[in-house]
Amino acid sequence: MIKFTILALIAGGLIVMDYRGSSLLPIRTGLKMLAYPLQYAVDVPYKVAHSTKGFFTEHERLSADNRELRALVGVYAARDQKYYSIAQENLRLRKQLDATPAVREKFTLAEILSVSSNPFSKDVVINKGSNDDIFVGQVALSDNNIYGQVKSVTPNSAVVIQLTDAKHAIHVRNSRTGLSALAVGTGKINLLELKHIETSMDVQTGDVFVSSGLGQLYPPDFPVAVVNSVAYNPGDSFMRVTAHSLADFTKTREVLLIWRADYSMEIIHQNTNNKAKANIDSNIAKRTNNKKKAKK
Amino acid sequence: MDEIIPRFKGAIIVSLVLAFILMILPLREDWLVWRPEWLALTIIHWGLVSPQRSSLLLVWFIGLMVDALYGSILGQHALGYAIVLYMTLRMRPRVIADSFFQQIFIVFIVLGTYLLINLWILGVTGHSPKGWSYWWTVASSIVVWPFYHYFLQIFHLKKKSF
Repeated sequence: MIKFTILALIAGGLIVMDYRGSSLLPIRTGLKMLAYPLQYAVDVPYKVAHSTKGFFTEHERLSADNRELRALVGVYAARDQKYYSIAQENLRLRKQLDATPAVREKFTLAEILSVSSNPFSKDVVINKGSNDDIFVGQVALSDNNIYGQVKSVTPNSAVVIQLTDAKHAIHVRNSRTGLSALAVGTGKINLLELKHIETSMDVQTGDVFVSSGLGQLYPPDFPVAVVNSVAYNPGDSFMRVTAHSLADFTKTREVLLIWRADYSMEIIHQNTNNKAKANIDSNIAKRTNNKKKAKK
Repeated sequence: MDEIIPRFKGAIIVSLVLAFILMILPLREDWLVWRPEWLALTIIHWGLVSPQRSSLLLVWFIGLMVDALYGSILGQHALGYAIVLYMTLRMRPRVIADSFFQQIFIVFIVLGTYLLINLWILGVTGHSPKGWSYWWTVASSIVVWPFYHYFLQIFHLKKKSF
């Protein structure tokens, strides 16, 4: 009885502290690291199944894929060339205008280790962590759509919160009209709710909402959701607009994590860790060198 | 029911770890709400068959691990599992622990209380689940209980009969 009371009180204390936002992060991280081997072991059969399935894909389809992808690479290379000259021009013009340099981005691919086992929160564990310079608040993409953001980090894994989590919201913009709204997660699969859209506004089913870039967290102009239904109850001050997320959260196995230059500056200030920025700079330097060589 | 001796030292921990794996096994999203409360069932099982060896501290700590992995508020499952074991231990002398229907009754009451307290904590911290799907796990847990209870006997020391 005494033991139970003490344990219950400690648990209650932890709940209150965690809710109030006291820093229980070390405890959480320690526990997660303790459970990481188990989590990894659970995921192994799925990975093996996935890779064997991939291994036995027919040769014919692979070669067809290969041909197609080669063609695609050619197209992208040409496009990249154009992009490069535009970027150069942009840089020159910005220099003339004395404007701040445009945001540079660096990517890394992370595998999803496990989908949340908790039916009431939408988050996933990925196989990269602070050892790979992942940081809290980092943006995750899947197939060029916004997937979510990093919620917490341990040395070799991190938790990514999905757009559809009920605790998550992202500022978006209608790509057709420019109308801005807040896309809030519903906790349901692939479903978002667009809030604060007044009744006189022009919204139709099929409209694509893209990230607005306000708040400096998400990069602008990445597709987020397609409007699914628009309803209005007389008497409400706002419309009820639901939208399907463009990232398919049920099928994604990998996410793309991005660094933007302004974030990497922050990292450097926080950790005096120059790795991320050095990588970006060396990548850019390499590119310019290559291009110079090519020009010669 | 007499106190049952686990087959080997740490058998309880091994069974709890197995239940933990079942709890974090990836499932299709629409089946998630039907996942039985494996850990709670395991705790009830050991509370019923081996009350002397069930440790509140152990289940409390496992609950803390669940909280860390689930991303729920720290202490929620710890408190929940401590309550599950405590209630089971307190109810055990009041029922015939061997009887099938009385066991089901215990599982129902204990899981109900556990889920209700979880629901309160979720509600207070501001993200309570919508709809009845939250309670479906009680049904699946009760359906699974007889088989799981039988299966967990592989962790019991067999008495020699001759």
